[in-house]
Parts: sequence; structure tokens; C-alpha cells
Amino acid sequence: MEIVVAIGIGVLATTGVYLILRPRTFQVIIGLSLLTYAVNLFILAMGRLVVDGAPLLAEGADPSTFADPVPQSLVLTSIVISFSMTALFLVVLLAARGITGTDHVDGDGMSA
Amino acid sequence: MTGLLEVLDRHVSIVPILLPLIAAASMLLLHERRRRAKAVVSSVTLAAMFAATLRLLMVVADPSTPEIVVYRLANWSAPYGIVLVADRLSVLMVMVTVLLGAAGMTYALSRWATLGPRFHSLYLLLLMGLCGAFLTGDLFNLYVFFEVLLAASYGLALHGSGKRRVKAGLHYVAINLAASVVFLVGVSLVYAVTGTLNMADLAAKAGQLGPDDLVLLKAGLSILGVAFLVKSGAWPLSFWLPTTYSAAAAPVAAIFAVMTKVGVYVILRLAALLWPGGEALALFGSSWLLYLGLATVLFGTFGVLASSELPRMAGYLTMVSSGTLLAVIASGDPVVLSSALYYLIGSTIGIGVIFLLCELVNRRDGEVAAQAVGPVFHDDFETQLRNEFEGVELGVTLPLATTLLAAAFFFVALQLVGLPPLSGFIAKFGMLAAVVEAGSGGYAHAPASAAWWVVGVIVFSGFCVLVALMRKGVNVFWAEPAGTTRVVRPLEAVPVAFLIALLVALTVLAQPTLRYTAAASAGLEARSSYLSSVLQGPEGEEP
Amino acid sequence: MEHRARSPSGTRPTPTMTIAATYLPVLALLPFVVGMLVAFLPRHARNAAAGLAGATALIGVLLTALLYRGVTEGAVLRQTWSWLPDIGLELTWRLDGLSWLFSLLVTGIGALVVLYARYYMAAEDPVPRFFSYLLSFMGSMLGLVLSGNLIQLLFFWELTSLLSFLLIGYWHHNENARDGARMALTVTGLGGFLLLMGVLLVGHVVGSFDIDTVIANRDVLMASPLVTPAIICLLIGAFAKSAQFPLHFWLPHAMAAPTPVSAYLHSATMVKAGIYLMMRLWPVMAGNDTWYYVVSLAGLVTFLLGGIAATFQYDLKGILAYSTISHLGLITLLLGLSTPAAAVAAIFHTLNHATFKASLFMAAGVIDHETGTRDIRRLSGLFRHMPYTGTLAIVAAGAMAGVPLLNGFISKEMFLTETLAFHTGSLLDRLLPLIATLGSAFSVLYSVRFIHQVFFGPEATDLPRKPHEPVGWMRLPIELLVFICLVVGIVPNLSVGPLLRSAVVAVLGPEAPRFHLELWHGFTPAFMLSLVAMALGASLYFALYRRLANREARERPWAGRARARRIFDGAMTGLFAGAGFITRLAGTVRLQPQLFLIVLAAVVAGAAPFVYHAVTQAGAGLTLGTRPLTPVSLPFVVVWAFGIASATGAAILAKFHRLAALILTGGAGLAVCLTFVWLSAPDLAVTQLLVEIVTTVLLLLGLRWLPARVATKEDRERARALVVARRGRDLVLALIAGGGMAALALAAMTRPRVGGIAGFFNANALEGGGGRNVVNVILVDFRGFDTMGEITVLAIVALTVFALLRRFRPAREVVGSTRQQRRQDAYDEARSDREVGDTARDYLFVPRIVMHLLFPVITLFAIHLFLRGHNEPGGGFAAGVAMAIAFIIQYMARGTRWVEERLRVLPLIWIGTGLLVAALTGIGAWFFGRPFLTSAHGHLHLPVIGEVSLASASLFDLGVFALVIGATVLMLIALAHQSIRSARASLSTQELEGATSAPSPAAAETAVKLGEAGGD
Repeated sequence: MEIVVAIGIGVLATTGVYLILRPRTFQVIIGLSLLTYAVNLFILAMGRLVVDGAPLLAEGADPSTFADPVPQSLVLTSIVISFSMTALFLVVLLAARGITGTDHVDGDGMSA
Repeated sequence: MTGLLEVLDRHVSIVPILLPLIAAASMLLLHERRRRAKAVVSSVTLAAMFAATLRLLMVVADPSTPEIVVYRLANWSAPYGIVLVADRLSVLMVMVTVLLGAAGMTYALSRWATLGPRFHSLYLLLLMGLCGAFLTGDLFNLYVFFEVLLAASYGLALHGSGKRRVKAGLHYVAINLAASVVFLVGVSLVYAVTGTLNMADLAAKAGQLGPDDLVLLKAGLSILGVAFLVKSGAWPLSFWLPTTYSAAAAPVAAIFAVMTKVGVYVILRLAALLWPGGEALALFGSSWLLYLGLATVLFGTFGVLASSELPRMAGYLTMVSSGTLLAVIASGDPVVLSSALYYLIGSTIGIGVIFLLCELVNRRDGEVAAQAVGPVFHDDFETQLRNEFEGVELGVTLPLATTLLAAAFFFVALQLVGLPPLSGFIAKFGMLAAVVEAGSGGYAHAPASAAWWVVGVIVFSGFCVLVALMRKGVNVFWAEPAGTTRVVRPLEAVPVAFLIALLVALTVLAQPTLRYTAAASAGLEARSSYLSSVLQGPEGEEP
Repeated sequence: MEHRARSPSGTRPTPTMTIAATYLPVLALLPFVVGMLVAFLPRHARNAAAGLAGATALIGVLLTALLYRGVTEGAVLRQTWSWLPDIGLELTWRLDGLSWLFSLLVTGIGALVVLYARYYMAAEDPVPRFFSYLLSFMGSMLGLVLSGNLIQLLFFWELTSLLSFLLIGYWHHNENARDGARMALTVTGLGGFLLLMGVLLVGHVVGSFDIDTVIANRDVLMASPLVTPAIICLLIGAFAKSAQFPLHFWLPHAMAAPTPVSAYLHSATMVKAGIYLMMRLWPVMAGNDTWYYVVSLAGLVTFLLGGIAATFQYDLKGILAYSTISHLGLITLLLGLSTPAAAVAAIFHTLNHATFKASLFMAAGVIDHETGTRDIRRLSGLFRHMPYTGTLAIVAAGAMAGVPLLNGFISKEMFLTETLAFHTGSLLDRLLPLIATLGSAFSVLYSVRFIHQVFFGPEATDLPRKPHEPVGWMRLPIELLVFICLVVGIVPNLSVGPLLRSAVVAVLGPEAPRFHLELWHGFTPAFMLSLVAMALGASLYFALYRRLANREARERPWAGRARARRIFDGAMTGLFAGAGFITRLAGTVRLQPQLFLIVLAAVVAGAAPFVYHAVTQAGAGLTLGTRPLTPVSLPFVVVWAFGIASATGAAILAKFHRLAALILTGGAGLAVCLTFVWLSAPDLAVTQLLVEIVTTVLLLLGLRWLPARVATKEDRERARALVVARRGRDLVLALIAGGGMAALALAAMTRPRVGGIAGFFNANALEGGGGRNVVNVILVDFRGFDTMGEITVLAIVALTVFALLRRFRPAREVVGSTRQQRRQDAYDEARSDREVGDTARDYLFVPRIVMHLLFPVITLFAIHLFLRGHNEPGGGFAAGVAMAIAFIIQYMARGTRWVEERLRVLPLIWIGTGLLVAALTGIGAWFFGRPFLTSAHGHLHLPVIGEVSLASASLFDLGVFALVIGATVLMLIALAHQSIRSARASLSTQELEGATSAPSPAAAETAVKLGEAGGD
């Protein structure tokens, strides 16, 4: 599992980084989303992988088998924040697109 | 009444964070056009914030009272809960923030606050983010407050819209989103190794790690370092800075002057906690911070020389200032640090003034064209909003505006160049003398001549900035056709005068201020007392 | 610092002296205070301003005179104010014979200049400002000579530079004044910064900045390897101030200043500051080789160069300016020779030069004032009209030329004697007498020329004004100065002997040579030399007369001025241009390189520790831990195969197939979501899923505004080698970054869990936090403060989005209906039985019913999520997002108008209330004496929903809920609403009318439906 997750993180990060380095704003925003996925997984992974150990204190649940709850709460926070940032970035890029008339990150026709 | 005051006093260290939050939230319930009401709320809030910070300052500065005030949120003691740690350093930063914030807000009241929706709320939330970032003792909470202040800064950087702002804003947002990702990677890595997020606990745990884990921790921390360097505007991660700052509205840019200092502050704090004696500032066998700092100073200096219009110059001046700080604190010497903090106060305020002046200097007539405004969705207060921005009145204009502006510019220029009579001279001399005295004692892993390099670069930069600012000042104030009149409203002159008065006070009260900064840097050295006071349980017993 | 310093061997102060010393700060600071006052006088208050200034100067003279008793025979007045002991900076006021002499010059000549200026300045000039500057300048000079501490000296030194800048630029409407001022401050500023370095070096070596201590520790300094850099830095500072070659060129340009300023700055003060510094340091530095060569050579060159240049000036003040440079060179040369006698001559000549040069400047000013020109080519035969001024000028010029019976003669004699005396036997030493004589000849030459061409010769014809004698008051200062020249010249010993003596002792110490000032030493070699000089000067004048008297002549470029100006301007332009070049070279304004650098920095920072570890400790660098791997399950692998595929697909398609890329991104998100479920993080799964939906909707809404892009031929052609290379480079970096993250993740995951804070949360969630869902308890209780901040971020972003979209202007080509819409509308218009928009409506008929019914269901789900949140996966945030989705679905189904007519959304109110509720709940704890956010809780059993915790935390969560609804709905609606505005905008150019008048329902659908438009 660890290896699969690691590979997953790696691919998401790679695609994300590649996209944020591209010249079109839409590519950048997609890249940021992918990067966010990668980071959220990464954070979760930092608590090590635990299967069926949801940190819910039901009767008879043994906390020692729980997954680390801290990274989970961190991920929740980061999900919220990155969601709002994605929304913001979207609107900014739309505004830029409207004002500069192009969807290039530098607001000109340059391409790469 | 006294009861309330007592309650407030017990929670004084969180007031600078909560107050702006509550004020901002309540102003969302206020109608957009209730300008006067909002002006009152903001002013009162800032006054109260100042009072609270002053109180906090007195507590930490007074030897008889504890010099570190720890506030355990939700009543969970560290490392489990989040704690706010107010020590001399963090309170100093908060104070600078509040003072500059007050000036900026006053300035904005005259016009800027009305040029976009919800300015007051955004502005106060930015202050909240800054204060939180300075006060928090928890690494992830620091991330959250970074996001708060960044989000607000995005809003404010785009405040007033317009092509330049939106273009700059796009870059600014993209870059800081990337930086935030870096931050998260770093912080989670740190957690994976140490199992904690509290800075003090982290410092305690870092000592007990085996070599293989330690190296992982160092990786996490240096990844964090990248995020902080982006914030502090270090070359080569800061090309966005001049563009963004010069595009932002004057009062906004003024408060932005503090934002770069957040990065510097955090680097300082973590370095002092994790590897005392400036070792962390010279990780991996090279004083990278020194080199980055010097590079930043030089780049900023050339930028100042190269840029023709004042706002851009001010942006580069910001880089010079934080570059100087990075290069100087890299020596890790407490004496150097104390002068560096003194320099930080003066230069931050000075840059704030320059940003405020930018607009006044270039503005010949105060009128700005009201931009077309369309309602975002259909409801009545929106539709009433439409002619809100039309005909922003000019207000009474002061006599001798140009003379006043010229004088202000002259003195601030001296402050930033480091010439007498203002505190810039004292600060620069103090830093350089201390750097020379520390000699090869500081800069653990740099060649012995490092100290002289620092002196040389900073002096050179001072000269270049002098030349650039003099050229600018002469062209603006002396070479202009006779009879050009400028428009300055009282609400815009007051904050400028206030900040310059602060600079004068900083000079006159140099001795007590330096005492305080010395104590602050000593507090940074006294790592164990920080750890013990943060990590002990609520009423002193161990958790 | 002090410990390393040997304490100075000064004379023990007597009580009377200490009392006297208390007046030193007064002497220095009084001018500043009065100057401040004068600045606030009304614009035309000439007499008041001049009166105050004059009085201040006179008080200064008086105080100085009174203090004389304290400084005879090497006695020193000292007064120390502790200012900044922490950084070794204290204010030491110190007066000895030398500084006494200088303060006498500063105050005395200052007083005369004030009197002169009162009549020189025109009524329309803002005179108060002038006198305010002048007084502050006087104060700075006094502070400089009274400083007993190098830093303090530097402080006032810089002040003199700044104030001279203001004084030279006083007539700033005149371009020459501006340039002159800038040049002066640039050069002296540069000097100042180097002086700072020099002072730092000296302080570092000696361990103190106190002048007496430095002097006392001469041997320490000389022994140090840093002495040479120190001397060079200090000297550059002094040369810049005293206009020594090659930093002399600013002085002639400073002549653009009002003449009183020139008379003050270039006779007694500004330029003498550098001389003063050299004299101060003489006891320390003299005898050092670097000092000897640098100082003497610079002085020598300046002496000659100034003399020659002065000869060929056509501006009266130009002549005087270069003659000043030349005489300063003479003094510097004497100081460089490093012999006591030379030092004596230097000090004496400083005094004499101040007197005659001040009077000459004033005379030149009078001529300018009365005739309207300073051009020596136009002036002629003035003696007829102003015989009195003429006589005065002749005497002063005589002093400058070194004519017997005048003070200049005596010091010139001493100078020549020194040049003849044998010192080191160096080549320089041998040539000295010749060069000295030549230089003196030139000063004779330009003095003669000054007098002869201005006052004699034919009557001037083309003068702007009819020349006549000036008012007596304006002449008085000149008379006094000339009188002094005569007195000193005739009875030197009686007049200045004692003063000079005490000044000399201050520099050379008690073992200073006993000199006797004599008018007549007999026919000494020196006397012969000065006779030669005079003869030579006179004959040179007649030789060059034709050229010099040529009224059409233009200034010789090699006369220095113009060329130095060009060089300076060139240097400045070069500096600015170079800076621009470097900024462009080492910086960028483009986004891609900046992001690249950030990623690169992160990669390097992440790798550095491992590399360092591997290299130094020979450790393995990045190591895997010992934790046993979790067994792989096939479905999971399949999920990730899918996830990886869609991520890659998204990356490839993002440019030309946005919609596809968007969907694929969603796919990747789904994989992440499933992973959360798998790895026992249900809360994350729920939240991720909901957020996923909203994000996708947002992006869909956004797509509509992006330019249609299809992979055209030129697109492929544009993929030139360069572009391909850039993509390759980015891909490599991306692979490294991704690989690095994967490696770090693996390294962390394979390590055993550390006993961190996690256990505490599991243990205390129920008792302390009153919830079974540990994650949720952490969010609302243990780390509730994070949540606080997180919702604040959401709120801020919503506000920003709101503000931005208010000013939103879509690009031309996407305004109005899109392709699909046009097709449908065309279809509708074609048929009479249909009206525009019907197709769209039918097309959405069934979905609309379904979506409509969904509303209550989702609402219920949201409430459920919220209530159980504390114990089961869910919580305020998830519930809020769910609720927002319910709203947006209505928008999809019915269109913006329909919804907004039925339910009034006031998102700002929701947001504000949410924040307030959350914050106030937290504050509530205060009144139970607990810190912010402390929670209290109890439990309650409800049918259907099950156990509900009534923790105060749930109230907090309620705030979160409200805020999330507000923020999310605001963002969605705000974006959706744009289509209406722009649909209108396409019809009417007036964007503002847009929203109020009702747009067509069809336009409403565009919000979501036509999101695809940009996609394919």
C-alpha cells in the first residue's frame, strides 16, 4: 500500500508541478488542484497508513488501532483553505482574462 | 466595567487577534454605504488593539512580570492545544503592525476605503492575520494565519481593481499558492518525524532524534524555510514583490511593508528555537542565509536605481530592508540582533511612509474616475450600490502641501538611506559596528572576511539608495514647473505626520528602545525558559 | 569594548573648566534651535530672520571667546553625555585649541555672512528658509568641530553634507543649482559612507570611538594590518569634503549657490571640515607611509591643478572656486609632509585663507549684485565706479597672492620654507620646491588677473546695470575681514600668535615646536622663492594677457569644469543603466520562471540535508524505516491506476480540451477520495467529495469566459525547438519534485509511529471534548483555533470574489450568447409557436423536476451531517457545503432569476453572522474564567438522529455552518450571475443597467449550461 500511495502522490505532484509551469491560466489552476490532492494525501500519509481504524470512539473501539487523527484534521483544514484559494484564483484569472483579453499568465500572447 | 477590564486583561494576548475579527464580522452586517459608522468602528478597533498591545508590551517589558505570556486556547496546554506565546519579540512585531495599520487605515478613510466593497473588513482581517502569525506558538496554526493574511492581502492587493492590479494580483496569488503548498509539505513532514506541531515541543523533541530521523526533520524545516523566504521577499524568490506592492493601493502597500517582516520573524524564531547559536541560520555547512540576504540587498538596490517611478522604488526598498535583516541576523550574534530589530522598526515604518507618499506626490488633483460597477446579484442593497462611488468629494486641502510633502520625503529618505538625524543612522551604525565586533564569531561557516562583506554591501547599498532617492526627490519637488499645486487632505497628512513623529520618537528614545530590543534578542537566546514557560501546564503543574 | 583601549593622557580638568565645558553643547545646539524657529517665520520677514541669525552667530562668537581660557597650552574642555552606551555611542563634547580656532572661524565668519546676506538676498526670495538652513549648517559645523567621538563627528559631518545640499540648491528653480546640489551631495555623500567604514575600522582596531582614546592608542592602530584600509577610507572621506583631486570637481558647480553661501561654505566651513578631520587625525596618522604619499600627492596635484584651472576661468566665482581648491591642496600638502613645522603652517594658512577668501567671495558678490554680471569678459574698469570696494578687493587679492604685509604672505613663506626643508629624500621631496613655486606663481597670476581685468582697463560698456558702490552695511563684513588680513600680516605674533600656539599644541602636543611668527625673516631662500613666484606670476600674466583678456574666448574644456561634469554625468548614467541591466538580468517579471524557481528552491532545500548527511556523516542519506508495509489490495491498485491515468490525462489535455481535463481532474480527486475512505479517514472522504462537487461547478462556470482554443496548425508550428526544450525542462523538474515527494512520503510512512500528541486526543476526545469523532473534536475543540482561522480565510475569499466580480468585464469575443445558445434561439425564432429560450427550457425539463425535488432531500442530509458531526463523520463544514450545493442545484434547475426572486440570498449577512457566532461562542468561555474557545458539553438522545452532543462546540460549529453556506453560495451565485450581466452588456453598451432590468430567462441558463462552450 505504502508504495502505491507514494507513487500516487508522486504522479499527482509531477502532473501538478508540470501544469503550474505552463503558460495558460487554466492549466495553472488545474495544476494547483492536482498539487492540492498530492499534498492532502501527503499530509495523511505523514500519519502512517492505517486500514479500518477510523478514529471514532464507538463502544469497544480500541484507540491504539486508530489512524492518527491529527493529520486528518490538518487535511480537513487544508482542504477548506485550498478550496477557497482555488475559487479565488479562478475569479482572478477570469478577471485577468477579461481585462487583458488573453488567458496567458503574463497577460500577453507569449506561448510556451 | 472594571470586571470587564480584568477579564480583558487576563486574555489580553488574544485581543489583537479577536478584536479585528469581530469588528470585521460585524461590519459585514453593516450596509455598504454606512461609511461613517464603519470609519468609527475601524478607528475604535485600532485604538483598542493599540491599547491591548501596549498593555502586553508593558507586561513583557516589565522585569517584575513574566516576560513570556502564554495563552492556552480552549484551555488545552501545549503541546496538545494551540498556544499563543507573547514574548518581547512577538509583541514588538505586533506593535509595529498595529501602529502602521492605524496609519494606513486613517489614510484610507479619506478615499480608498470607498473605492471597493468591504475594504474595512479586509483590512482588519489582514491585521488579524499578521498579529496571529506573530503571536502563535504552533507551526500549523502559523500556516493558518499565513493563509488568513495572504487571503486578505489578495483581496486588498486587488482592491480598486484595474488592469495593473489584476495582472499583478494573478502572479501574486499563483506564487503564494505554490508557496503554501511548500509550507504544507514542510510542516507535515515535521509532524511525521516529531509527532508534534507546537514549536517549543518541537524544539524539545528535535534534540532526541536519531540521525536518520534528524535528517528528515531538517529536510522538512528547510522546505519550510523556502516558504518563509518567499514571504520575506528574498532573492530569487521575490520578483513578484515590487510589481505587486507598487500596484496596490497606497494604504494597502503601506501595511504590506510589514508582511515581508513576517517571513524574517519566523525564520528568526524557528532558528533560535531549534538550533541555538545561529547554527540553523548556517545549516549544511554554509551560511546560505547570509548569501541570500546580501544578494537580496544588492538586487533591491539595483532595482531602486533602475526604477523610475516612486511606488516601484518603494517595492525594491522593501527588498533592501528585508535583505539587510536576513544578512545581518545570519550572524546569529545577540548584539547584532538587537540592533537589527531596532533597524527593523525604523525601516518598516519608513517604507510605510514612502508608500503613503507615493500617491500624494504623484497626484496633482485628487479626483479619481469612478469605475463602472455592476451588481453581482440581484438584491436591493446591491442595486442601491451603483452610484456609491460617484463623486468622491475632494475634502479640504491643506496649504503648503508641496512643502510638507517635500519635508516628509526628505526625512524618510534620510531614514531609509541611514543618514542623520533620524534613527536610520543609529540603526545602521549599530548593526555594522556589532557585525564587525562579532567578526568571524558570527557567520559560523562563512569566510572570516564575511563581516566586512556585509559592511561593504550595506554601505554601498546606502549610497546607491541615496543617489536614487535624491534624483527622485529633486525631479519631483525641485524641477517641477512653478505653481504646481498638490492636493493633500488632512486625513492623508495626519498618518504621514504620525509615522514621521514615530520615527523621531524612535530616535529620541533610542536608548530605551535598544534596551528593549536587546532584551528581546536575549529572550530569543534564553531558549530553555521559553520551552519551560510554554510547555508547563495551566497553573504551572506539568501536564 | 573599552577595556582594550588605553585611557587618554589628558590634562586633569579643574572645576572651572568643567563648568565651562557645560557651555559646549549650548554652543553647538543653539543654532539648530534658532534655525528651527526661524523656519516658521513668515515668508518676507527678512529682518527678523536675519536678526535672529546674526544674534545667534554673535552669541556663538562670544561663547567661543569666553571659552578661550580653557584651551590654552593643550588644555581640553570635555563634557560627556551618555546617549547610547549599548552600542558604544555617547555624546562627547570636546574643545581644544584646534577646535576653538575652527569654532571661532565658523561663528565669526558666520556672523559676517549673515549680515552680508541680509543685504544680498532679494526681497522675493523665501529668506527665512535661507537663514534657517544657514543656522542649521552653522550648528552642524560647530557640532563637527566640538565632537570628541568619531561617530558623533560623522553624525554632524553627514549633516553638513545634507545642509550644504539644501543651501546650494536654494534657488532650485535654476537647473544649475539643482545639478550643483546633486553633484555636491553625491560626492560628499560617497565620502561620508567611506568615512563611516574608516571609522568602523578604526573603532574595531582601537576598541573605542573616542578621539582621545584613538590618539592615545596610535601604536595599536599602526600595528594593525587594517591600518592601510582605514587610512584610505578616512582620506577619501576627507578629500571628498575638501575637494581634493580627484574628488574636487563638485566645488566649482556648487558656485550656483547664492554668493553668501559660497562665501561661507568655501572659505571657513564645509571644505574646511575635511582639513579639520585630517588635522584631528594628524597625531595618529602622520608619519605613516600611506598617509605621507596619498596626502602629499593629492595635495600637490590639487594645488597645481586648481591654480592652472583658476587662471582660465571667466566667471569671478569660478576663479575663486578653483583658487579655493588650489589653496586647500596647499594645506593638504603641508599636512601630508608630516613634520610639526608643516602642520603649523597648515593651521596658520587655514586661518588666513578663511579670511581673505571670504572677503573675496563677498567682493565678487558685490560686483555681481551691482553690475548684474560675474563674467570677467564683460567687466572692466570698475575702479572708477566703486573705488572703495576695489581697494578692499585689491588688498584681499594681495593676501591671496602672498604679498608682504598681508597674512597670506607669512603662511606662504612658511609653506615655501617647509618645501625647501629636507624630509625623506624621495623624488617627490626633491621636486617639491619647484612645484611649490610654480603653484604660487599661478596664484599670483590669477590674483593679478582678477584685479586687473575687473577694476582697471577701459570702461565697461555692456553691463546689465549701472555700477555703483553698495550700501555700507553690505561692505562692512568685507572691511572687517580685510582689516584682519592687514593686522595679521603686519603684527602676526601679537594678533594671532597665542591662538595659533594653542591650536598647534592641541595637534602636536606639549612638545610642539616653539615658532615665532615674523613679518620679516631676512633674505631667506623661501623669500627668494616667493619673489621668483611673484615675478613668474606677473610675467606669465603678461605673456597670456592677449588670450586671457580676449572677450570672445570660450572656456577651455581642459580647464576641468566641463570635462569633470561630463565624466560625472557619464558615471551617473552608467550607474543607472547598469543597475537596470542587472535588474533585468537577475530578475524577471514573468510568472513561469518565478514558479520554476520556487519549485526548484523547494527541491534543493529538500535534498540538501540528505546530500549533506550522506557526504559528511557518511550516512545513507534518505533511509526507509522499519515499519512493516500494509498488505497491498488489488482494488486499491486499480483505483490508483485509474487515478494516475486521469491525472496524466488532465495534464496532457489541459491546454486544448479544458472540459475533458476538468473531468479527468475530478477522476483523480475521486481516487484521492476513495483512498481517504480506505485509509480510515471518513471525514476527509465526505468533505473531499462535497468540495469536489462545488469546485467542479465553479470551474464549469468559469470555462464559459475562457477563449475558445483548438489545436490549430500554427499552434503545432509554434511548438518550436525552444518551446519543446522549455517543456522538457519543466517536465524534468516536475519529475524530480514528484519523485522527491514520493520518496519523502515513503520514508515517513515506513517509519514507526512516534508517540506524539495523537494519543492524547484519542484519550481525551470523549471526556474533554464530549465527542466520539476524534477528528471533529480536534477541529472544534483541541485545535478549534485553526478552524476559526480557516473559516476566516473562506470568508475573506468570498469577499474578494465578490469585490472582483463587481468590476468583472468579460472579453469582447465571449460576450453575448454562445454557439449552442445561438443555435437554439435561431431554432426558436424560426418557429412561430415557440419563443426564444423554449428549447433550452425543454431540454432541461426532466432534470429540472428532479433537481427541484432534490432540494429538501439535500437540506435534510445537511442537517443530519451537522447534527451527527461531533460523533460520526460530518460536521459544520460538510453540512454547509452540502447546503450550498442544494442552492446551486436550484440555480441550475431554475436559473438565476427564478431562484433570486423566490429566496433572497444575503450571503454577506450569513458570512458575518457565522463569523460572529463562532467568535462569540469562543469568547463566551471568558465569562466562566476560561480561555478563548474552551468548550462545555452535555449529551442528549433524539429519535432518528441518535445521540446529539450539546457541546458549546456545536454552537461554534453552527457558526462554521452558516459561514460556509454564505461563502460558498456567494461565490457560486456571483460567478453564475455574470452571464446575465454580460448577456445584457452585449445588447446595451451600458454595463450598469444590466442587472436591474429583467434579462431573458434563457440568459439565466447560460450560467451553467453554457459552461461547456469554452471547452471543446
